[in-house]
Amino acid sequence: MAPARFGAILMSAKGRFEMLRAQSVLTTLAAAALLILVGLPVLFILLQAVFPDFARGSFAGAFSKLVILTENDRLMTQARNTLMLAFSVMLGCLIFGLPIGILRGLFHIPGARVWDVVFLIPFLIPPFIAAIAWMMTLQPRGYLFQLLGFDMGRFLFSFTGVAFVMTLNLFPLVYFAVSRALEMVGGRFASAARVHGARPLQAFFLITLPLSIPAIAASLLIVFAMSIEEFGTPAALAARTGFEVLVTGIYTRLSDWPIDLSGAALGSVMLMAMVLAAFTLQNWIATRRSYISQTGKPADLEKAELGRWRWPVLGLFALVAVIGVVIPLAAIAVTSLMGTISGGLNWSNLDTRHYQPIFQHGSRAAQALVTSGWLAVVTAFATAAIGGLVAYIVVRGTGRGRAVMDGLSVLPNAIPAIVLAVGIILAWNSPYLPLTLYGTAGILLIAYIGILLPYPIRYAVARLRQISGSLDDAARVAGASQMQALRHITLPLMAPSLIAAMMLVFAIASRELVASIMLAPAGLRTVGTFVFSQFEQGSVQTGMAMSVIAITITSGILLAVNLWLARQGSSAFSG
Amino acid sequence: MLRTTALAASLGLIGTFAHADTLTFYTAGPGGLADALAEAFQAETGITVNVFQGTTGQVMARLEAEEANPQADVVVSASWGSAVDMYERGLLMEYLSPNAAEVPDFLTHSHYVAQGISALAMVWNTQSDAPRPSEWSDLTDEAYRDLITMPDPAQSGAAFDLVAGLEAAMGEGAWELLAGLAANDMIVPGPNAAALNPVLQGAKAVVFGAVDYISYAQAAGGETIEVIVPESGTVIAPRPMMILQSTSNPDAAKAFVDFVLSEAGQELVAATWMMPARADVEGLRPGINDLNVIEVDEDAVAARREEIIARFNETVTNR
Repeated sequence: MAPARFGAILMSAKGRFEMLRAQSVLTTLAAAALLILVGLPVLFILLQAVFPDFARGSFAGAFSKLVILTENDRLMTQARNTLMLAFSVMLGCLIFGLPIGILRGLFHIPGARVWDVVFLIPFLIPPFIAAIAWMMTLQPRGYLFQLLGFDMGRFLFSFTGVAFVMTLNLFPLVYFAVSRALEMVGGRFASAARVHGARPLQAFFLITLPLSIPAIAASLLIVFAMSIEEFGTPAALAARTGFEVLVTGIYTRLSDWPIDLSGAALGSVMLMAMVLAAFTLQNWIATRRSYISQTGKPADLEKAELGRWRWPVLGLFALVAVIGVVIPLAAIAVTSLMGTISGGLNWSNLDTRHYQPIFQHGSRAAQALVTSGWLAVVTAFATAAIGGLVAYIVVRGTGRGRAVMDGLSVLPNAIPAIVLAVGIILAWNSPYLPLTLYGTAGILLIAYIGILLPYPIRYAVARLRQISGSLDDAARVAGASQMQALRHITLPLMAPSLIAAMMLVFAIASRELVASIMLAPAGLRTVGTFVFSQFEQGSVQTGMAMSVIAITITSGILLAVNLWLARQGSSAFSG
Repeated sequence: MLRTTALAASLGLIGTFAHADTLTFYTAGPGGLADALAEAFQAETGITVNVFQGTTGQVMARLEAEEANPQADVVVSASWGSAVDMYERGLLMEYLSPNAAEVPDFLTHSHYVAQGISALAMVWNTQSDAPRPSEWSDLTDEAYRDLITMPDPAQSGAAFDLVAGLEAAMGEGAWELLAGLAANDMIVPGPNAAALNPVLQGAKAVVFGAVDYISYAQAAGGETIEVIVPESGTVIAPRPMMILQSTSNPDAAKAFVDFVLSEAGQELVAATWMMPARADVEGLRPGINDLNVIEVDEDAVAARREEIIARFNETVTNR
């Protein structure tokens, strides 16, 4: 009797121990990844902010740079402009992304998967190229003027214009987050409400929409973070209106000789503070109550039919696509095919000669495409793996590991790409390291993963908050280990949002610019740096031609993946 | 971290350790030139040149961030002042190439030497409704209202040199000129390309202070623009080439500098529509002797950089 009881206690203790060990191994792994990828560069940036000569290996003059915080009201103006812009872009993204996101999530939209790829395209267009495309379309004597005889230069070179162009770069974040979340919430809860007497709109606003709040808030947080760290659009457009934001200020300190690393580090500390505040708010919204909608009960996965609304809805999708995708893409393609810019829209000015340097055998453009291609693929898988793990621990973990991870997972959000890049140089190019990735393509991988981790983390966290933990418990009761439950229950349920995040990561990584310029080893070119240097050298058309080719290839790959997923048809990948 | 490096090694990511037969070259544009020089040099010597090409600001930012463990061997910037600065900080290796003998004296120094030279000019779209300007001060005329762009002196070293040069030549008159341009609604949209692009499409008519070689090349490609150098004088922007003191490969670095200053190397420089540094190599466009060059005391100007930019911002961009 006694030995048997003793044995049982021992066994349950062993089980608990295994569970804890599995969890702590996972936590340690995820924490190590975050610390190396993001924590290390941030630490070095902070050291640089405090010690102006840190890059030269000296700790002299600590805190001597902090005076620029108080003596410079330009910094405060920039901070205010940054916030105004970010809120306007968030609003714009709701206007552009929310309606189509809701429709995509709740209804059968003809060609749904094609629309998904169409709305991924804004991510494939480098923001500064999109800004230039809009400039060449709307400025006086631009394409609009050449076609229709009027221009919209006044609109474009204004606060509204900058917010408009940035919105078009970012609204797909809201579209994807909202449509995936609503797909998961589905019509079931709304149906229940209808059974209890709610009208359709009542059911939507009282049930379906509130249950999607974590996903909407998460996507808005990313919109906020991305708009305050966006450089290309404000630099191209806002400079014309004397409208400066923090990140242009940071960039100026980093790229205008003499370089002011410490000033830039200080400016980025302000940016980090803004993102942290936004994150705290979003986190409060998301955890204030339960948003669980996935409990494992059999669900009716059928979406509603549009019926007579079919054509108006398709019209709305088409309108958003024309403004957000077709016009900028057309401007880019048209520019790439012009013999001379001053020749204007004229059939005799049609010329493919600017494509020639790209198609030359063994050209640097071809190398750039290959480099960006494999970097983007590896980054997508790596961020999904690390991000999924981090999200799992943040939502499902227990004890101290969870708290630590919760804090660490905010870090990647808070760091603008250019600052992370400088931090990576400071951290990885230390002469004391016996072996380093600096000076190899591997350092770009590290930077990309660090910059793009927020997507899978935010998407997966939002998704996990919708999945009931009782599903895990059920698996455990049925005899599965924690690892088995993770693999067979939680992971498949997380897959749709992880895949959506991976596609975003792939799209953005394939044309990443800021970190690439700072970190690409000499001799290595990416699509982003190739396009940028073409533009800087004055061959706008070749830059645009390269963009056209890169966008075509990447959207082709994304379309193929999406169609393949559709053919798989398994419910796990229905997102 | 061991895991990461092991993984990276297995992926073949590690491998560009400094070999005796590779050289790392950081350079401001034009990008085509850097690649052409690297390829020709490799064909001649077998030494591989890895090129990093960006704006002067990007090159300098990278050098500074890497200062604890420098990667570059040879650097070309578009701003003479940056070489002066690096020399004063003791970052440059002393080397005077034998091929520099043909470079005018004021463009050589014991530690750096000009690779090529650009000049600052007005670039006018010949299809615009605005008349052809011939002097800087013409642009304050009502005919150019809302039709002028200028590169930002804070972002373009050459535009900064122009402001400093005009001040040296005209004194307070330079600031009155700039104020007049500002009153004529001149825009300052960013670095050189950003200033030129609106003029190409016709949104604006003239660039005040464009780097000339880019526009010469564009005009040769069929763009309807004309490069106009005012007779009253302009500023030249020589591009310093230097070897870093920290180079692990001084012989290859010296050989590369020699090559860039050889006749073959200078022909490649000339092909970009810049003025070659060597007086005995013919350029595709007017050379130094055809221009009325305003002398600028680089040291004095470099020391006043912040002051001049602040005054420019106050006068023109209202920042």
